[in-house]
Amino acid sequence: MKPSPMQQPFRTAVLILVWGWLLFLVLAPNLLVVGASVMSRDPARFLSLPLNLDAYRQLLDPLYLEVFLHSLYMAVMTTLACLLVGYPFAWALSRVGKQRQVLLVFLLIVPFWTNSLVRTYALKLILATNGLLNNALLALGWIDEPMKLLYTEGAVIIGLVYLLLPFMILPLYSVFDDLREELLMASHDLGAGRWATFAHVIVPLTLPGVLAGVMLVLLPAMGLFFVPDILGGSRNLLVGNVIKNQFLDARNWPFGAAASILLTLAMAFLLFAHKLSKRRLGEEGGA
Amino acid sequence: MKKLALAGALALGLSACGSEEPQVLNLYNWSEYMPQEVLTRFEEETGIQVVYTTYDSNEAMYAKLKLLDDSAAYDLAVPSTYYVSKMRQEGLLMPIDRSKIEGFDNLDPELINLDIDPDNQYSIPYLWGTTGLAVDTADVQGEPVTAWADLWDERFQGRVMLTNDMREVFHVGLRVLGYSGNSTDPQQIEAAYEKLRELMPSVRTFNSDAPRVPYLEGETDVGMIWNGEAVMAQETMPSLEYVYPKEGIIAWLDSFVIPKNAKNPDAAHKFISFVLRPEISALISEEIGYATPNLAARALLPEEVASNRASYPAPEDMKNAEFQTDIGDEALQVYAKYWEMLKSGQ
Repeated sequence: MKPSPMQQPFRTAVLILVWGWLLFLVLAPNLLVVGASVMSRDPARFLSLPLNLDAYRQLLDPLYLEVFLHSLYMAVMTTLACLLVGYPFAWALSRVGKQRQVLLVFLLIVPFWTNSLVRTYALKLILATNGLLNNALLALGWIDEPMKLLYTEGAVIIGLVYLLLPFMILPLYSVFDDLREELLMASHDLGAGRWATFAHVIVPLTLPGVLAGVMLVLLPAMGLFFVPDILGGSRNLLVGNVIKNQFLDARNWPFGAAASILLTLAMAFLLFAHKLSKRRLGEEGGA
Repeated sequence: MKKLALAGALALGLSACGSEEPQVLNLYNWSEYMPQEVLTRFEEETGIQVVYTTYDSNEAMYAKLKLLDDSAAYDLAVPSTYYVSKMRQEGLLMPIDRSKIEGFDNLDPELINLDIDPDNQYSIPYLWGTTGLAVDTADVQGEPVTAWADLWDERFQGRVMLTNDMREVFHVGLRVLGYSGNSTDPQQIEAAYEKLRELMPSVRTFNSDAPRVPYLEGETDVGMIWNGEAVMAQETMPSLEYVYPKEGIIAWLDSFVIPKNAKNPDAAHKFISFVLRPEISALISEEIGYATPNLAARALLPEEVASNRASYPAPEDMKNAEFQTDIGDEALQVYAKYWEMLKSGQ
């Protein structure tokens, strides 16, 4: 298709905008981070020459491997919880009337209007020993003494799930919305039971949504440093906390930069896996 | 026609701005370290608008000031003791013009002309305070808590709070072992780490945002706190006691400094003078519970504030007290490493 001459200037403008955005706000900052990660640490000026790979060598320290694994564990738990809650939620969402769908999606997005830091502090009021939840359960007589919820690993995961759940639901909702009722009926007519339909029709068709949701939850969950700071009592370090500490407290910028590159690489790996699985799905679908 | 009207309105707006010259003072301070009333009164009196930004560690303040040095983001900051000397030596500060400061003579002679800034060329003391022990006497039974070492007691499992401050936490570890809280000896720091590691199962949370909050929330019953935070907490929780530990308290002095590239140093000088007024200093000390170095202000304090040992320690409370000093970059890296090991539970 050839664009008509009328469209040309508009097209150029959009392209310039998009490429300019990507160059200055995505590529340039990332190059700066890569540059910082191969420089030497300098107590007075933050960074200095010569170039070297010390920061990456430091990443191999068992301490940081441990932090990374713990962080990954918390992120995986968060992602699983989001998936367990988000999957049925998205399915239900796609099966209610159109008007109600609009309302529900709207309600899902409303919390974004409030700063996530503020919402995390609010969660603290609920989880505290003399907070809303404990007081309510005590008043109901369900528990005899307050549960210790705040400043635990569980509190961090609750906070992460709370903040990231919409990112799981929205891509799932979009695949469920495209899932046509006729396919389910066909599967049923061909003799598949509920379980077989779910395993062989619904799951494969919604898998791209699952993968997209997992990507949108898993990586941010490793980086949201304020959640362990506020809800975990600064005890459960995430990779995000290490990056923040290195930049602000230890003033070791090359190492902080190297750690954030590690996160970026993990994201790239996930994207790659996503692409591979999509291609495989596409082939199956075409066969 | 419409365009013309718009241009006119714009021009009017611009000239209105020009004649008023709304001045702005960018104040960078510790969180909860300045009563709103002081800012409001300063704004009303001078017409200078105060933009108030906060930090919760010297390290964060230092990194940001250094990074934003050229963009002159801040006109006034409040570093603690040794950060004044560090920033002064690195040329990050603007000399303070004493001729523009009123009320300097009100300051305690013992708290001026210190090693951190001889002759106070770059800094004016704002408040001083201590980091000591908080004990919720309503929830802590048995032997009274009198020393840092008592935190290791088994009965405090899961009830201890520490400040989220690397130097302060290691200070405690070092003092319990009988070393200086300013040690730069890697072996002593490692020993302190080993000691603190034994404490970790008891530690419920780290907090330097508002260290009184975990006590008020009922999450912790014993641990570290800043004296002013203890005084603030006592208003709603009288059972919270401030204890001067036997091994010695951590002391600090926070001072006003003007960053080298400050946009509005005049406003900064005016603000310092404003705070040095006895009635303003007294108001601050009364409101947020830290001790004012302003002797004229101390005379104005109500009896219950002036005699509160948490804010104004008796001479015997300051026995073994230590001010933090600059430990240098090499030792800092050692501390940082052990700090992360401590936090990640190794």
